[in-house]
Amino acid sequence: MLMLENVGKTYPNGVRALEGTSFTVKPGEIVAVIGGSGCGKSTLLRAISGLDRPTRGRVLLDGEPITSPHEKIGIVFQEPRLLPWLSVADNVAFGLTDRPMSRRRHRAAGALSRVGLSDKARVWPRELSGGQAQRVAIARALVPQPEVLLLDEPFSALDAFTRVDLQDHLLDLWNDLRPMMILVTHDVDEAIALADRILVMRSRPGRIFEEITADLQRPRDRHSAAFDHVKANVLMALDRSLVGERVPEVAAQYPGAGAAMWW
Amino acid sequence: MTVVSMEAVIEPATAQPTARKSGLTRIARPMLGLLVPLVLAGGWELVVQLGWSTGRLVPPPSRIYAEFAGLARSGELLRHVTVTLWRVVAGFALGTIVATVLGAIAGYSAMVRRLVDPSLQGLRAVPSMAWIPLFILWLGIFETSKIALIAVGVFFPIYLGVMGAVLSVDRKIVEVGRAFRLSGPAMVRRILLPAVLPAYVIALRSGLGLGWMFVIAAEFMGASEGLGYLLIDGQQLGKPAEIVAALLAFAVLGKTTDWIIALSAAPFLRWEDRFTRQETADVDA
Repeated sequence: MLMLENVGKTYPNGVRALEGTSFTVKPGEIVAVIGGSGCGKSTLLRAISGLDRPTRGRVLLDGEPITSPHEKIGIVFQEPRLLPWLSVADNVAFGLTDRPMSRRRHRAAGALSRVGLSDKARVWPRELSGGQAQRVAIARALVPQPEVLLLDEPFSALDAFTRVDLQDHLLDLWNDLRPMMILVTHDVDEAIALADRILVMRSRPGRIFEEITADLQRPRDRHSAAFDHVKANVLMALDRSLVGERVPEVAAQYPGAGAAMWW
Repeated sequence: MTVVSMEAVIEPATAQPTARKSGLTRIARPMLGLLVPLVLAGGWELVVQLGWSTGRLVPPPSRIYAEFAGLARSGELLRHVTVTLWRVVAGFALGTIVATVLGAIAGYSAMVRRLVDPSLQGLRAVPSMAWIPLFILWLGIFETSKIALIAVGVFFPIYLGVMGAVLSVDRKIVEVGRAFRLSGPAMVRRILLPAVLPAYVIALRSGLGLGWMFVIAAEFMGASEGLGYLLIDGQQLGKPAEIVAALLAFAVLGKTTDWIIALSAAPFLRWEDRFTRQETADVDA
């Protein structure tokens, strides 16, 4: 179980990126964090990962405080961040510490075939397409079998078709070991397609504004009425989260505008 | 010729489909570059053979070859080459070690950079040859001052290259290392060194180029051996063929040592497409 207790982050320049954030993620749960730019969602994710330390509160994984990167927490960044001097297979094996090396190779090969890229094992990262590279990054994060997988807008740089494809693929991989997943995104459809719960954040200071449960059966049909219903809820919550910080009259003047332009 | 073998090492697999055609162009294109010097040399040879010129100040190829062969046969050439090569290698090694350590530290620590870099940049503004009188006073006229001068010449490009490379290591890649909890030494070995290597090789090659430049200056300042001495000797005794023979030796040595660095680094840089492109550009140029 992952617990956040009143986590806050104030940068040295005085910007309050995150304030009073508390929530709990149960084993096997997928949580999406959504919000406009600068709402602190990446700050939140980096605090959980242990890459940055919060200035207030704490993050607990199974009761253990997280203060630095942890072996049970994997992370996928917005960019694949593959090491260009390692082959694709060696990139996947990068985080493994098993000995002998043959065992690392074996596990990496398994993970690579799981993301459907066995034929690219000996290729350099630069020869991969954007979607393939991100799949390798996901395999690299998943192969040590983390309990928590953090994803920081992992598909935002990909084209729409690849994005949907990878979302389905991610769920597929998640199903193997069912780690907790926390997905930061600004794509409403992505959040609803993947998550059990959607946390809507607002900025200045960044905090959780609303929590919406997406109680939909998997696999989820993106064109169902139930999906649209959750989507309408999320969009309304996003609208509300913006109204408070913009000049209110503008929001009142264009009541329908926010839904399409919230970000 | 060096370029051809280099490419063969770098991309053996990708060249296969069009092996025949590219094999031809690979030989033909560098050959094109030889055309101009060959025609000029052949023409001059003809002019001298026909007696239109004595070729006393501009010796024809045959006379240069004879001089070269004579120097080689008598063992003179080997002696001078060995001495010069030793000076370059010693100065290059010394300069490289100091520059790499200082460059890495200055790139890594902003504090050290603020402390040391301005002074070094100030020293860099002094043309390195201007050190010669001081070095002779301090270190004498023999080997020590020569090697010191070469080391100074080698130092600056490598120092700057290493510092720049360390500074420009992608923070995002370093973060991947942190996310996988690499220890300090593992971070250096698995992330920083490979990231810095391409720029380091370029820095070494430009450093070596300067090393060859400075060895001549060092040998001009009074030497009894070495290719630089051979140049001075040829000038004082009015033997242009000997000068040109020494120049040729410099060209061969400079290119060969540069090639050794590039070739020994190539297996570690296969991942970098820029490396191949750069070599291909060499062929074009």
